[in-house]
Amino acid sequence: MALPERRRWFGNRVLATLLIAAVASAVLLPFASLSPNRLVSGQPVMLWQALAGWQLATFALIGLLLLIAALAGPLPRRLALWLSLGATLPLLALDFQALGAYAHGALANASPAARVSQGATFWILLFVSALIAIDALQRLRLGPAGRALYGVAALAVIGVCFSGELLSPVSIMREFANQRDNFIDQLVRHLLLVGGALLPALLVGLPLGLLANRRARLRNGLFSVLNVFQTLPSIAVFGLLIAPLSALGRAVPWLGELGVSGIGVAPAIIALVLYSLLPIVRNTYAGLAGVSTGALEAARGMGMTTRQILWRVEIPLALPVILSGLRIVTVQAIGLVVVAALIGAGGFGAFIFQGLGQYAIDLVLLGAIPTIVLAVIADFALQILVSLSRPSGTR
Amino acid sequence: MIELQGLTKTYAGKNVVEDVSMTLETGEFGVLIGPSGCGKSTTLKMINRLVPLSSGRIILNGDDVTELPAEQLRRRIGYAIQSTGLFPHWSVARNIATVPQLLKWSKSRIDDRVDELMAMFHLDPAEFRDKYPHQLSGGQAQRVGVARALAADPEVLLMDEPFGAVDPITREALQAEMRRVHGQTGKTIVFVTHDMDEALQLATRIALLNNGRLVQYDRPIEMMVKPADDFVREFFGQADLGLKLLSRRWVHQYQRPPSLTHHATLPGLDHCWRLDEAGRPIVLEGARLDDQHQHTDVRSEWIATPEMSMKEALSRMVWYRVMVLPVVDETGKLIGEVGMQGIMGIESDGGLHAGGPAS
Ligand SMILES: Nc1ncnc2c1ncn2[C@@H]1O[C@H](COP(=O)(O)OP(=O)(O)O)[C@@H](O)[C@H]1O
Ligand SMILES: [Mg+2]
Repeated sequence: MALPERRRWFGNRVLATLLIAAVASAVLLPFASLSPNRLVSGQPVMLWQALAGWQLATFALIGLLLLIAALAGPLPRRLALWLSLGATLPLLALDFQALGAYAHGALANASPAARVSQGATFWILLFVSALIAIDALQRLRLGPAGRALYGVAALAVIGVCFSGELLSPVSIMREFANQRDNFIDQLVRHLLLVGGALLPALLVGLPLGLLANRRARLRNGLFSVLNVFQTLPSIAVFGLLIAPLSALGRAVPWLGELGVSGIGVAPAIIALVLYSLLPIVRNTYAGLAGVSTGALEAARGMGMTTRQILWRVEIPLALPVILSGLRIVTVQAIGLVVVAALIGAGGFGAFIFQGLGQYAIDLVLLGAIPTIVLAVIADFALQILVSLSRPSGTR
Repeated sequence: MIELQGLTKTYAGKNVVEDVSMTLETGEFGVLIGPSGCGKSTTLKMINRLVPLSSGRIILNGDDVTELPAEQLRRRIGYAIQSTGLFPHWSVARNIATVPQLLKWSKSRIDDRVDELMAMFHLDPAEFRDKYPHQLSGGQAQRVGVARALAADPEVLLMDEPFGAVDPITREALQAEMRRVHGQTGKTIVFVTHDMDEALQLATRIALLNNGRLVQYDRPIEMMVKPADDFVREFFGQADLGLKLLSRRWVHQYQRPPSLTHHATLPGLDHCWRLDEAGRPIVLEGARLDDQHQHTDVRSEWIATPEMSMKEALSRMVWYRVMVLPVVDETGKLIGEVGMQGIMGIESDGGLHAGGPAS
């Protein structure tokens, strides 16, 4: 007496939704734009106008494969997931290739000032590939090795797309070519700022987390103080630091020579350290507090010293939680360094604010996109590190 | 040998353990028992100084260890607890090797010892060495916990309700295993439980605590037949005293040669076993409660082994309505029989004071 079951068309609704979004954007939104120079806004160019026949056919073929993977019937579940994961790499490659090829063609006979920029559909295809991959990686429950392998493959595809002349006529890449040396400088600066903030934050935060675990009485006070830092807006902190730091730099000449002043690197790093402390301390505390009392009692009962218990039992068991905290603050710091450009600390934020000042959208993107990429790579890498740090067998 | 002299623990002005003194000879299985909160765990943890003594002394094999650094003392004393306390990030083998590693034994010596202990607890090294605690059943995890506690051949083994969290069937298996391991190793054991049956299964000495004081410290039989006061009498209970005694008696103590021919000397008890060619019992003729002439097919459910407790043997007789059980060896061969009558026989002629194998 089974009720007639409503037929499920899609085995993977996330994939189906993403596919619909991609198709809708391809139909409704421009793939690229063409403008006579960098200050004028461009003419929209739709996907079918921009692409050659074989490119459209390949897009259609990839779309078809993804559709088959999304449908409930045709393929076994895992095979469908592998197919959708695999399809993201050619989709990624084709997205870049199509943009580059169009730019080459459109600019061949145009004035040197003419520009080709990527449009909404280009971005949406990029995000759709990323989301399909994330969804498939999760459903396949791939271990750290599998995830890392996919991450490397995706980076390799993107690397190949950027390595040759393929994308060089695209507007943002021309901006990049103009700024190449500066870009490398700002990248290094951005990374140094992040590292320069995380290192002291860890050096202070880890012991504070241990202290919070060992001294219940200190705990509440410590967390209230750190919470206050976390709630202050970053611009306000930079502003607040200007006066005392410039005074300090003037009063203590050798500090001034080291670069301590109201603007620049010193206030940026101080602010970043303050923002990073709470997640590090809180996760260190939570990780240590999560170690089972049975394991601790057994460790003590078998004659481990306090130090041996800390290094052999508590830290290994708390490590995944501590590293999750590190993951939070790393991604957070990569984003906050952008704001620090406002007080002259440099980094990718410099491009963004310069671009905003000049109404040069490509310059803004030249700062924003690498920041996002850095954050995604750091997040991905630390996520893998977190799963590697889980006790064996419980991953 | 371990001597506790006047152990006292004071929390916030209140003595939760007060002046507990007892001596456990080498090879004894001492059980601390008493109502919840009476100070059993506190007493046990004072022995390995997880709880610092308020006053008192501990003498381990003649050495006063009260002032020894706590870590050194603990490496000479095994410790197993209810939650097992296995380290989730270490394999079974590494868990067992914990104390030998702290003592810096050589790798080959540690490996040999781990294999030896795993064999002793019937954990196949090939299968279990590299497993992680979360892959073990409750009973297996508890075995690993006890193996770990024994790893460095400690002078004393402390166990705090180690089988309190496993299901009753596993618990009985673990108790049997513990009895066997105690017999094999001759370890001095101090074991905390609040389960009287468990205490009677295992103890050669029972210490009954109440409100932090040692009420009586004696052999189990003495506790039952010569309780020091009403508290002890009540705690050990009167109703099933006979059964409790039988739970400390073993079939081999009551076993007699099997009757292989009929002889009607005792009316109602005439019976005889029919064997197959391998000497295994197949049919019991007679000796049924209801019909003495009936033939009963022997089934594995009502067979006894020499190591079985008399309580269990009696239970089988009642349940399967037979007056005698066949006693068989490992191969299933009939080596004796044990009957209702035998139980009465021994107890009535002074069996109360006959020691069990472990008492
Ligand atoms: N750290 C402590 N602080 C204060 N009181 C304690 C502490 N540990 C145990 N107690 C008290 O000591 C008594 C005995 O506890 P315990 O030895 O754990 O009992 P048992 O193991 O017999 O159930 C209990 O009343 C308990 O509340
Ligand atoms: Mg207790």
